[in-house]
Amino acid sequence: MWDSLRQSLDLTLFWEYRTILLRGLLQNIYIFFGGALLATALAFAIGAARLSKRGTVRIFSTGYAELFRNTPEYVFLIWVYYVLPIIFSRLLATKINFSPYAAAVLALGVSYSGFLSETVRAGILAVPRTHIEAAMALGMSRWMIMRRIIAPQAIRRMLPEALNQYVSLFKATSLVSLIAVEDLMYQVSMITVHEMRPLPLYTGAALLYCGIIIAAAQCIQHLSDRWRQRGWA
Amino acid sequence: MLDNFNRLVLANLHTLGAGLSVTAYVCFFSFLLAVVLGAIACLVRLYVPFIRIVAIGYIEFCRATPIFVQLLWVNYVWPEVFGFPKSVLGAGIIALALQSSGYLAETFRSGIEGLPKGQREAALAVGIPQFQIMRRIVMPQVLLVMAPSLVNQMTVVIKSSTLVSVIAIPDLMYEALKIVNAWFEPIEILTSTALIYVVAIFLISMLAKRVSDRFRNKYGLAAQA
Repeated sequence: MWDSLRQSLDLTLFWEYRTILLRGLLQNIYIFFGGALLATALAFAIGAARLSKRGTVRIFSTGYAELFRNTPEYVFLIWVYYVLPIIFSRLLATKINFSPYAAAVLALGVSYSGFLSETVRAGILAVPRTHIEAAMALGMSRWMIMRRIIAPQAIRRMLPEALNQYVSLFKATSLVSLIAVEDLMYQVSMITVHEMRPLPLYTGAALLYCGIIIAAAQCIQHLSDRWRQRGWA
Repeated sequence: MLDNFNRLVLANLHTLGAGLSVTAYVCFFSFLLAVVLGAIACLVRLYVPFIRIVAIGYIEFCRATPIFVQLLWVNYVWPEVFGFPKSVLGAGIIALALQSSGYLAETFRSGIEGLPKGQREAALAVGIPQFQIMRRIVMPQVLLVMAPSLVNQMTVVIKSSTLVSVIAIPDLMYEALKIVNAWFEPIEILTSTALIYVVAIFLISMLAKRVSDRFRNKYGLAAQA
């Protein structure tokens, strides 16, 4: 046991392949940013739609959020990669193929937009009703109220929670290796096949992710504490 | 379309059913293990001074590592280092439990720390032993407070359990992908699988929320909107 423990904590092999692994990690980061951008855009649309005055809009957007909050990311990722291109091809009567990258960004973005829309909704609801009424009394247009009264306050209030969602999204990017995006875990598996030494590689990957995410979580904690002190969040 | 549905989904219903029961088995045991591990980690973190740092490290590691990475790590590294788990099924259950136990430990902790200190002191003052204080005063209240997070974590376990197909545990996703690979027609089967998961998770979380709200109402905590 001690020998194998030492072996798995001996990360020289992990260090030896650092350029390849870093290149993999870079793919994770690209997909993370793509997914985060998509998720944020969708979340704002859905979150606002869930507070709409029209009943049908509200029902559809709530259904959307519930659907994607309850869909396992992995199943949805596979579905987007294998099924969606076929459906599009049939609808448009042309051959369409998704690159694994596009499928990964699309699947993760849409999955996490469900969670984020909840955050957006809570943020908008937290803006005091009287502020909106005061703005209306001053004769601001709806768009101006949205842009200058609701959005700044809602965004500040939802930032800490949204950042936590982004951390989850980053964790979920480890799944994309399963549809052959050449990310960190993909490279780890490839190197394992090549070297036949899984212990240090998988341990190294776990520790690397752990380090990145703990660092990110600490930053978020620090930032949101500062925001709280300034009375923002 | 309907032909395909008959041929791919209905004809394979028993296989999918078998997969679903494996999924249920994995989820049930990993959630159970997660609650136990989470409670132990939390109690160690709060009440055992010297190995507190170990518990903190454990909790942080479990929370900060993606489930997929943990799954492969447990599956490939643990058997050689610790001598267990002996089967992929064990590895899947342990990996899922590890992930959730970290989150649950933190939920337990916030529940325990949220209790008024006076209750504990009062119980000590009337001479109730430590263990009984835990069992009869702290735990019932903590469980009520954390019921919604428990429900939430349960859905997370079910969602993450789809990944155990990667290490060849024959769960629902594994059986579905096997059918896809046999026929190369993914539309019906993958869509049905996704729907089965969504409906299952939705129903279970609804049911669990109902039960937890019921208890919270009965014992004085208002149900959450």
